[in-house]
Amino acid sequence: MIKAGQIDKGMALLIKGAPFVCIDREFVNPGKGSAFVRLKLKSPTTGQVLQETMKSQDNAEEITVEDLDFQYTFNDGENFHFMNTESFEENEVPMTSFPDYQLIMKEGETFRCTVWEGKILDVQVPSKVVYTVTEAEDAIKGDTVTGATKFVTLETGLKLRVPIFIKQGEKIRVNTETKEYLERVNG
Amino acid sequence: MNTDIETIKARSAMYRAIRDFFDNRGYLELETPSLSSTLIPEPTIECFETAFINPYRAQKSFYLIPSPELFMKPFIAATGRSVYQICKCFRNSEQLGFEHNPEFTMLEYYTVGYDEKDSIGLTKDLLSAVGIKQEIETMTMDQAFQDLAGFSFLECQKPSQIRQKAYEKGLGPFGPESWEDTFNRIFLTFVEPCLSKDHPVILTDYPRQIECLAKNDGLVKRRWEMYIGGIEVANCYDELTDVEQIRDVYERETAILSQRLDTPIPDTDPDFATKLQGMKPCSGVAMGLDRLLMAILDKKDIKDLILFPFSDMLT
Repeated sequence: MIKAGQIDKGMALLIKGAPFVCIDREFVNPGKGSAFVRLKLKSPTTGQVLQETMKSQDNAEEITVEDLDFQYTFNDGENFHFMNTESFEENEVPMTSFPDYQLIMKEGETFRCTVWEGKILDVQVPSKVVYTVTEAEDAIKGDTVTGATKFVTLETGLKLRVPIFIKQGEKIRVNTETKEYLERVNG
Repeated sequence: MNTDIETIKARSAMYRAIRDFFDNRGYLELETPSLSSTLIPEPTIECFETAFINPYRAQKSFYLIPSPELFMKPFIAATGRSVYQICKCFRNSEQLGFEHNPEFTMLEYYTVGYDEKDSIGLTKDLLSAVGIKQEIETMTMDQAFQDLAGFSFLECQKPSQIRQKAYEKGLGPFGPESWEDTFNRIFLTFVEPCLSKDHPVILTDYPRQIECLAKNDGLVKRRWEMYIGGIEVANCYDELTDVEQIRDVYERETAILSQRLDTPIPDTDPDFATKLQGMKPCSGVAMGLDRLLMAILDKKDIKDLILFPFSDMLT
């Protein structure tokens, strides 16, 4: 048992019997009154995001989680399929738990995952990842209205705006949180 | 360290505008100590404690003020003058966030002959003088609860009643706690985050269960708080002037304070109430100027406005 005031981003907790990962934490103090903490919690099993305001002195149950490596094999439209790289056991997670992750996870890549009681609670995708551009529209010469950018599609299916000089087959680095173009990568 | 020149100039301009505003209206600008040997008992405020060392006498504890109220009020009682002060205040706290710096700048202004409703008009004029010209939305706390939490807290006077409402709204379960704590849980979850961020909002008529030095009015206290951009910026009372009532609040708060186990308990002054004898009706406003500056400059983190943020000194 810990105090709610000790909860930090990334910690896993049991709230009303269900596991949640804290994805944001804000301290709040009413004008006159005890200290409170406002938590944003994500359920790994349902994808539900919960807002919970607790007194900093409230008890909270932290759960022990493990960080294990899983290879992302594929998705079937409903679930992401992972394989534990050591035990080769398969693991499924509803796609709703990690919305749009199919746009940032490359099939065959290994990711560090937070696991509790056999369930994957969190998939750690690095904040900057290099992807190959699989489709790029031709830039219209002289078209500066759009600010010298165009849309491309990446190997994962992610579509985003990039500078007009980016060509099909090239590699670019993308911010996986904002899904924005960062830079072209050579070689 | 922040060296943004525009922010530094904006703070300076804000102070100048505030001083002009009050000086033109005949308020006296006071300068009172930052150190005090006693504090007004407030169980939820933690203080910074230091000591006066004198080679020939026992060490005496002193505290950095969390508010200049304890000096300004006796002055008002003695002189009957409307006063203001811009000064540093100190609140010891583990909970640092984007709207707290343990050392912060406070503006407090007390207007003799005003009640808290009069202070609303005055505050609106003050905001306009520093560049915040939107209409202020004013409503009672109970109205805010009805609109945003779906019930009237005035109809839930017992801890068990408000606890029932909290459970109905999906909060908890939680252990036995005061009416005030449950009220705050509901307020912080359903009401405060939904207050408009486009214009200043004033919530009036706070529950009587939250102890403070404001006049009583049935089930509520003559108190309001102002929110700008969703952050609490000011607190106002129709100041309690009845010495017996002040003494009662003081004693109740001191009793709760003395049960606190974890942090230093400041010495309190049993004669404080007596020093306020003869205080004329007046209304005081305490306003966090760092937060006011956040509103003026549309900044989201208080650290952006402080040259040497406290949290940098903690690492």
